[in-house]
Amino acid sequence: MKLDKLARGAQAQVVAPNGGDSVDIDRVYAGDRMSDLLSAVTDSTLLVTNLSHTMLMQVIELMDVPALCFLHGVAPDAAVLQAAKESGTAVMVSPDGMFETCGRLYAALGLLNAEGQAM
Amino acid sequence: MTTTATYSIVGGDYDGAGSASKQLKGILKRIGVEPKTLRKVMIAAYETEMNTVIHAQRGLMKVAVDPTQVDVAVEDEGPGIPDVEAAMQEGFSTAPARARKLGFGAGMGLPNVQKNTDQFSIRSTVGLGTQVRFRIFLQPQASSAPAPNAVHVAPGLCRQCLRCLHACPTQAMRVRVDRPQVLAHLCVDCASCIEVCEAGALTMDVTDALPDSSEASVLVIPVSLLEQFGPDVDPAAVLEALHDAGFRNVQHSGAWETALRTAVEAYARVETGVRPVISPMCPAVLNLIQVRYPSLLGHVAPFLTPIEAAHEQLTVPHAVFVPVCPSQHTILRSPSLLSKIDVASASAMRRAVLERMGEPGGRHYDAAIREVPRNRGDVLHASGMRRVVKVLDEIENGLKADCGVIELFACSQGCFGAPVWDEDPLVARRRYERSLTWYRAQGKQYDGTAKAGAVRRIRPLEPRAGLRLDPDMRTAIEKLARIDTLTRTLPGRNCGVCGAPTCAALAEDIVLGRASISACVYLDHIPTEEAT
Repeated sequence: MKLDKLARGAQAQVVAPNGGDSVDIDRVYAGDRMSDLLSAVTDSTLLVTNLSHTMLMQVIELMDVPALCFLHGVAPDAAVLQAAKESGTAVMVSPDGMFETCGRLYAALGLLNAEGQAM
Repeated sequence: MTTTATYSIVGGDYDGAGSASKQLKGILKRIGVEPKTLRKVMIAAYETEMNTVIHAQRGLMKVAVDPTQVDVAVEDEGPGIPDVEAAMQEGFSTAPARARKLGFGAGMGLPNVQKNTDQFSIRSTVGLGTQVRFRIFLQPQASSAPAPNAVHVAPGLCRQCLRCLHACPTQAMRVRVDRPQVLAHLCVDCASCIEVCEAGALTMDVTDALPDSSEASVLVIPVSLLEQFGPDVDPAAVLEALHDAGFRNVQHSGAWETALRTAVEAYARVETGVRPVISPMCPAVLNLIQVRYPSLLGHVAPFLTPIEAAHEQLTVPHAVFVPVCPSQHTILRSPSLLSKIDVASASAMRRAVLERMGEPGGRHYDAAIREVPRNRGDVLHASGMRRVVKVLDEIENGLKADCGVIELFACSQGCFGAPVWDEDPLVARRRYERSLTWYRAQGKQYDGTAKAGAVRRIRPLEPRAGLRLDPDMRTAIEKLARIDTLTRTLPGRNCGVCGAPTCAALAEDIVLGRASISACVYLDHIPTEEAT
């Protein structure tokens, strides 16, 4: 699924497409531990995280992560945005916390059945 | 064919963290490493790099890549890891608050490295630093094939005396037509056959030329070399002579042996209830356990042998080793991309020492040291293949459970009895222990200056593959029955004239198509029903 569609579903705003928005996202990983996300992300993963610093961006670049979603409506600082631009990673910001955001992304990816239950 | 690079890592520099891994990624992308493999390398590289940033003052990432593998060593100057076993547990972390705030310190770093690599080792010395080394193969490895052994056969010289047949502890020798043959899946690379071969048909095939001794070289000598020059020569004089021969950086195996001894004693005391613990001192003994005693693999302490540890740790541009037996030589032949490894023969090194040694000074400590402590602590030594086999039999039968640690050596008196030496093994070993005692009493370092450490064996030893009579169990059982019947037909003299060490071995050779029954010279003379 393309990022803009996911972003609409998650009620999030894409603040910098950086070319990463053209990638077909097939999974979402949410987490705040560097080791976990290092070993969990792929080149078609949208990463949802509370972290927002340049070390995170190093990992994003090393692992070719195409898109990032920051939380609580807080846009990342200039250094992080610059790093995202250089690594070609799309950046979006969700107005809510991780739980709500992940819930909406889950539904947007079509992982709920007609009764609204997880498939 | 090999690309190498070295990147520096600055401790505490969180903003610059990841740059070494990023540069490595650049190399791998340019040579076209496929994404799945690249991902594994990046996880391992970034985790080790971050460990250095978080815990150490500074470090180096050394990288070597060839078409078969990526070989990475990250060496740091830092506090070291007091408990490597704990650090390997998921969730264990000593990361400071600053690192944790950034999302590090989850205790998943080293386990992550292990999961994503094909070979992984870690060595750490408290107060000095840590070295992590890992390899990731770019092509599938034929892991089930037995390692090629290093017993070399010179066919023209064999006199067919058959001594090697009877000396081999695993019945790996055959003498057919005009030359000895080694069955690779059974050979444990001990020196038993070489030791008894008076014709010189079985050797180690190490060049006799003196190796290059440039500035960048490190020479690693076996400790037994130091005691080959008679009663009056101090080990220090031997080291000096090697220095004069151009080897500015000489280290000796004793350093890694001592490190292993310390580590195994601690392992036996703290980490395991298994008794006895077999110390992985001699690679030929480990090979023997993999071939003949797979049920004892759990007794072997999880460390690399001293020669493997030295081979793994030395990431200098050029290292010269002096193997004293085939099992050491085999280990040294496994590729090390980060370091060019050469081997020199023991006789070449001995010649180099003799050529440069001046008047031998008297052993100044002979009078001072009369007592040589034997069998310190709870350690049982056994050496010589026949003795080793006996001890392993007993352990397998549940005896020897009262021993703490057992150190086994294939050669008599350990490496002092390797067939490359002329000096009597007992005499040489006694001299060594006296030297050791004296140096320690003087507060001097006899074990060399090497930053040697015990290296954990992360992937456990496995039974040797290739021993089954047939991949299909039903066929294997049939073959076993045929071997059994055939063995009873044979005379049972175990003479070896057929080229196999025993009648049972000949029977197996016949059933597996390696020999014909006509090889038995006695069979015709056994009266059959018809003849009588």
